[in-house]
Amino acid sequence: MNQFGVLLKKEWRENLRNYKLFWIPAVFILLGITEPVSNYFLPQILDSVGNLPEGTIMEFPVPEPEQVMVAIMGQYQLLGLLVLVLAYMGTIAGERKSGTATLLYARPLSFKAYFMSKWMMASIIALLSVWLGFLAGYYYTYLLFGSIDLMDLIRFGFTYSFWILLVVTVVLVASALMPNAGLAAAVSLGVIVISQLVDGLLGAYWPVSPLKLTAYAAAWFENGPDLADFWWTAGTTVLLIALLLVLGIYISSRKAASTKI
Amino acid sequence: MSLLEVKGLTKSYNGNLAVDRVSFALEERTATALIGPNGSGKTTTLSMIAGLLKESEGSIQRDFKSGVGFLPQYPQFFPWLSALEFTEMAAQISGVDGKKVRQQSMRTLDFVGLGSAVNKKTGTFSGGMRQRLGLAQAIVHQPKLLLLDEPVSALDPAGRREIMDLLKSLQQDTTILYSTHILNDAEEMTDQLLFLKEGKLVEQGSLSEVKKRYAEPRIRLRFETEQAAMQFESRKLWPMIRDRHVIALPLTDEGPAMRQVLAVLANEESGIAGIDRQSASLEEIFLKVAGKR
Repeated sequence: MNQFGVLLKKEWRENLRNYKLFWIPAVFILLGITEPVSNYFLPQILDSVGNLPEGTIMEFPVPEPEQVMVAIMGQYQLLGLLVLVLAYMGTIAGERKSGTATLLYARPLSFKAYFMSKWMMASIIALLSVWLGFLAGYYYTYLLFGSIDLMDLIRFGFTYSFWILLVVTVVLVASALMPNAGLAAAVSLGVIVISQLVDGLLGAYWPVSPLKLTAYAAAWFENGPDLADFWWTAGTTVLLIALLLVLGIYISSRKAASTKI
Repeated sequence: MSLLEVKGLTKSYNGNLAVDRVSFALEERTATALIGPNGSGKTTTLSMIAGLLKESEGSIQRDFKSGVGFLPQYPQFFPWLSALEFTEMAAQISGVDGKKVRQQSMRTLDFVGLGSAVNKKTGTFSGGMRQRLGLAQAIVHQPKLLLLDEPVSALDPAGRREIMDLLKSLQQDTTILYSTHILNDAEEMTDQLLFLKEGKLVEQGSLSEVKKRYAEPRIRLRFETEQAAMQFESRKLWPMIRDRHVIALPLTDEGPAMRQVLAVLANEESGIAGIDRQSASLEEIFLKVAGKR
């Protein structure tokens, strides 16, 4: 087995035995289910816990099933991303800080295999979580609000997957760069939040940006995004991920000396 | 040709020298002890040779292609891996042929005494077991050079004895460079001593050479009472050092010969209880070298 295979097996065992393989998808599934269910039962929920004055009448428009799916994505953009950052912030920084990386670095280790195995495993779990969450959410949306065109749903999930892969890559590069998991989380969240803020304020000037992926994903439920803009954005995202991977491999190698001996 | 040749090895952090122009060579199948006080640069030197740290200056020349085996002072393992899984991973990354990985890992774990714990998670291991596993991962790929950072300092006397015996049995096929501040260990398994102090190599040579250099032979007289020792001291026959009821007479050019001392003691009631000849122990040499400028 080559080094990538050996290290991927190690990552698989780690994610399996520390239960990340189960709890991360579980959180995404829970978020996916909560959105349609809480939307559907919102009047009853408010009735029972709302402490509203007697006689209050509130009219809630029934959301379209597509709107519920977009709302699930909104949950992922807040809580889902936070979960991914917290789960993978220590992937490299934590190993160096605890000294577990030392016995790997003292060998003829390929840092390409080292970084890519971690990225591959984190990406698989993140994508698995997002898709299981979307499917669970879709199931309840279908039951409670009606059906969605399956192709639109697939395009929606596919587009959002590009964004998730980019987020996972940013977290791993931050983990390679920073001396500890906490700082890696701060840097990852800082980069994600600030770039979203900048795109939110000035994004009207550039249609091609990875930060537009969530908007393009939602657009599949309407008339679909401008295809040229979408493909340029997807291509740019893939290129950015590739560049970040090269950077992550380089940084992991350069920072190997900071492992605890 | 030496197996490893280190020339002018230097490591500095923000201008502070951790290792300062250290040079030495290791011959094949020898054991070399790197000794020195805490903070003298032992771990930094080993880390540079292991490839974990990049040297600021100097060179490390190896006459072999295979990787080294490295055991840090406090080896850390992935707690969710079993001893066998970890050792197999170490073997595979070090390039052991896929078909031999299982067999070689099992044999190595057996050799270090973990044969019955191969499937136990490393997170449940005691200090002694961790040290054994650390040794197993360092030797599983049969490296020509084994680098050990304080391999037994964290162990109790029984554990220390067992690991030292394992290391001695490895010495037949492997070149070992290890740091230690337990001087009995250095005395037990050493072909060459390297004394580091404040990053500098202040003394080196074979155990016998170093001992000879710092031997300071002396006659030790043990008296029955402190008063008897004081009485003997007051006669100022030769230069001497008294410690309660024991007097040491350095055997220098100006000092006495053993038969002169015996003659003096035989002619009077001196209260002598015992007499022997001594040389400086490695511990005394260590203290002397550690204080050397």
